Amino acid sequence: MVKRGRGSIGETQIIDLQVLQDRIRRQPESHKDEFLGQFQHYLSLKEILNLNPSGFTETEQFMKQINLIAHVCVVYPAETKNFANDLGELLVNHHTAIAVELREKMVQSLVQLTNRQVITEEKLIQILFPLLPTTNSKTFRKDIYTTLVRLLKNANKSTKAPKLNKSVQTLLFTLLESSDGPAAAPDGLWAAKLTRELWRRSIWDDARSVEIMKLAAVHGNTKVSIAGVNFFLGEDRDREKAMRKKRGLDSDDSSDAMSSDDEDGSTPSMSGLKHKVGVNKKTGKRARKLENAAKMLKKKEEARGLEAHLNFSAIHLLHDPQGFAERLFSQTLSRSTGNKHTLEQRIQILNLVSRLIGVHKLSVLGVYSYLLKYLTPKQRDVTQFMACAAQASHDLVPPDVLSPVVRKIADEFVSDGVAPEVAAAGINTIREILSRNPLAIEQDLLQDLTQYHKSKAKGVMMAARSLIRLYRDVAPEMLARKDLDKFSAMERSANARAGIENKKLQYGVENVVEGIPGIELLEQWRKEQGLDDSAPDENGNVESKEDEDAAWKINISEDDDEEGWINVESDKEYDVSDAEGDDDKDSDREGNDENDDSDIEEDTKKTPEEPEAKRPKLDPIQSIMATRILTPADFQKLEELRAKAGLDKILHGGRAAAAARHQDTVDASGLIGTRSSKIAKEERLEAVMEGRKDREFGSKKGKKLDSKPHSTTNKEKARKKNFIMMIHTRDIQGKNRKSLRDKQKSLKANIEKQKKYNVKH
Amino acid sequence: MSKITVAGVRETVRELLDYSENTKKRNFLETVELQVGLKNYDTQRDKRFSGTVKLPQVPRPNMTICVFGDAHDVDRAKHIGIDAMSVEDLKKLNKNKKLIKKLAKKYNAFIASEVLIKQVPRLLGPQLSKAGKFPTPVSHSDDLYGKITEVRSTIKFQLKKVLCLAVAVGNVQMDEDQLITQIMIASNFLVSLLKKNWQNVGSLTIKSTMGPSYRIY
Repeated sequence: MVKRGRGSIGETQIIDLQVLQDRIRRQPESHKDEFLGQFQHYLSLKEILNLNPSGFTETEQFMKQINLIAHVCVVYPAETKNFANDLGELLVNHHTAIAVELREKMVQSLVQLTNRQVITEEKLIQILFPLLPTTNSKTFRKDIYTTLVRLLKNANKSTKAPKLNKSVQTLLFTLLESSDGPAAAPDGLWAAKLTRELWRRSIWDDARSVEIMKLAAVHGNTKVSIAGVNFFLGEDRDREKAMRKKRGLDSDDSSDAMSSDDEDGSTPSMSGLKHKVGVNKKTGKRARKLENAAKMLKKKEEARGLEAHLNFSAIHLLHDPQGFAERLFSQTLSRSTGNKHTLEQRIQILNLVSRLIGVHKLSVLGVYSYLLKYLTPKQRDVTQFMACAAQASHDLVPPDVLSPVVRKIADEFVSDGVAPEVAAAGINTIREILSRNPLAIEQDLLQDLTQYHKSKAKGVMMAARSLIRLYRDVAPEMLARKDLDKFSAMERSANARAGIENKKLQYGVENVVEGIPGIELLEQWRKEQGLDDSAPDENGNVESKEDEDAAWKINISEDDDEEGWINVESDKEYDVSDAEGDDDKDSDREGNDENDDSDIEEDTKKTPEEPEAKRPKLDPIQSIMATRILTPADFQKLEELRAKAGLDKILHGGRAAAAARHQDTVDASGLIGTRSSKIAKEERLEAVMEGRKDREFGSKKGKKLDSKPHSTTNKEKARKKNFIMMIHTRDIQGKNRKSLRDKQKSLKANIEKQKKYNVKH
Repeated sequence: MSKITVAGVRETVRELLDYSENTKKRNFLETVELQVGLKNYDTQRDKRFSGTVKLPQVPRPNMTICVFGDAHDVDRAKHIGIDAMSVEDLKKLNKNKKLIKKLAKKYNAFIASEVLIKQVPRLLGPQLSKAGKFPTPVSHSDDLYGKITEVRSTIKFQLKKVLCLAVAVGNVQMDEDQLITQIMIASNFLVSLLKKNWQNVGSLTIKSTMGPSYRIY
């Protein structure tokens, strides 16, 4: 073919092939010969391409052939059975040499073939996937990557496709394993990337994909391993974000405020809208907008409630976390392996290791001594290390391993010479560690630290107070007497008088809930109500059937407490409180959070005298727990009774609760503690001023007018007119004749205006 | 099933016992297990719970226990007829993973004397806590036998990777009332652990080792 004529021939060819394709679709048999002709042409072109890929000039022609064959190969399966394989081979062998369009066309055709089920998805992935790490064209890589993601997404759309997923995962495994070793290549990065993307979209959420990332995290190549580590650290956030985005797109957003910042969630936009309504002119439209936004928000919240699907985070799905943590630590962090990683990377890895330790309660004892080195105020990013130290502690770490860490932090951070923020950070970190393992500190050190609650610096004072609060809950015996709350102090002295030794914290006793707290109260209450069936209900219950049903019905109508059975109960409850004493009634009447203190005081009055009477040890067989099934109404009552008896303190503040209160992760920025609002405001203002530096204020129109000579407006004239000439006008006279009240009013308004003006300038 | 009644539980327990006693008697002591399916429980937002409760009866009398003790406790354990290991015995394991795993497999629970327990992570590594069998401490002043019964009769609810869990609450040799008591205590306690109480419970099932399962909620 002559090069000159190619264009025109191409034109006719397009039409020809398009027409041919159409005809073949309609009457496959009668056009078979024509098709075979084209196919022969394609084969010869392919041979040429194979011989000299870089010098191939018939790109356009070839593309059209491929297009045709891909479209009609369903009709002639026997003739074209090697077509897909050929394309795959061509791609694999010559993808670097051939033209970009041709390459794209080939991938496109292959996808088309999968859509028509000529080749399986596995096959396509097998062809495309190896190209991903080998090619050096960015666009091609992106192309393949998106193709793969889309393919898997579609395959898992209605139901999960376990077979395909498994085969892809195996591919990823082999990719990671093959690239690992002494000369680790970054090829595995694609495996990590793909898995992360699929995890983010919740397409993959099984343990196997977590295993892939685990393999990536311990990969020899730093890039790959950091990708793996970051996956574990950020996947929850990723997935949540993706979810939120999806939900945001699904629901129809008409108000611009809702869709404006999807990233930060809808709550800030709501507050922003409220602010706008407060600041701007109040119009019905704006009010309606706010209302609509609120409605939308509520709907979304409800939808979120419904969507309580099960998603375990990747860290929880790990198989053999101990081995993983040990390997990560020994491979990347311990001193023998040298400093292959930058500080940031080391922090990331350490963060993951410590989170693993905390979540799974592992024992990797080397971490604590490793941390010691970094825990000095001068260390860069020291708060991150402190957060890691807190995350890595849990109740099964031997106290003698953890206490040096606490000691070191106390020595380095908490002394009189250091800045208040440093001390606050130190105490906060110590508190975080101790909330996970209260035994890791000696009594003397603890009492030294608690003395900071008299510090002048607010952050330090608050940190020390929270430390005291923690120990009031978990181990009051370790605090000095003056730091105890009234309740514990009196209990302690009562015990001392009676010669009872205080119950001590013990290593190895897990902090879990034991029994139902406050169950005796419920039982007592039932007895007083005459509800209790002291003879266990043998056949048929003592209570009437309706009562039972009502008690269970709360299950359904949880929201409105103000109806039916429960209401009656709460009436009765006041009688009980009368019987018990006036104090209780008082607290009932107040009935809000502010009466916490009074509650505690009541307890302190009563409990030390009659601790036995209040909480009698019950024979478990006779207890209410064993004789009847607690209904939702019972649980509600129990909650009430607990709150009244001040048992809430025990429930929400007991050892078990303290153990449950802390999170899996520690926020490094939170450790610094609160900063005074004054400083924060100054800083904020500074930033604002900085932003205003190069900006001009005032209307454009005014400036334009000022810049050139112009005539004056009537308003201006009125303002500049001599006062004497104006003195008899009605405007001025009117002012004089105003009533005293009106005068006052306008004076006030003027003062306000002046004030505002002064603030502005 | 929308609710659970004592009478209903009694009925199912009777059926269950009848099956294991009469329909197909086994050559070993069958355990009765309470299986729980949870619902509406978001493992990320809600804290995963764990709690222990002491039952009036020992659900599994054949549970094997080993005591890690100092000389005094080893003697006491020998006296009651419980397997015991001293520090030297533990050191002999030499941190060998396989041996420790074997040890952890051999016994259902461990008890360690107070002085020793702090060394356990160092001596045995992570294997015990991995298997969920970290020893319970016992001091010299405690009654060892009492402690052992306590350990035997305490059951633990802990959410793992899946939204269902099972605990042994009794065996088929118990009589009806005992079994009912055990089941009720266990289920009441479990429900009290959950954030939304009964709203979080999908199903409650009881099952003997070889028998069919009976749904009670």
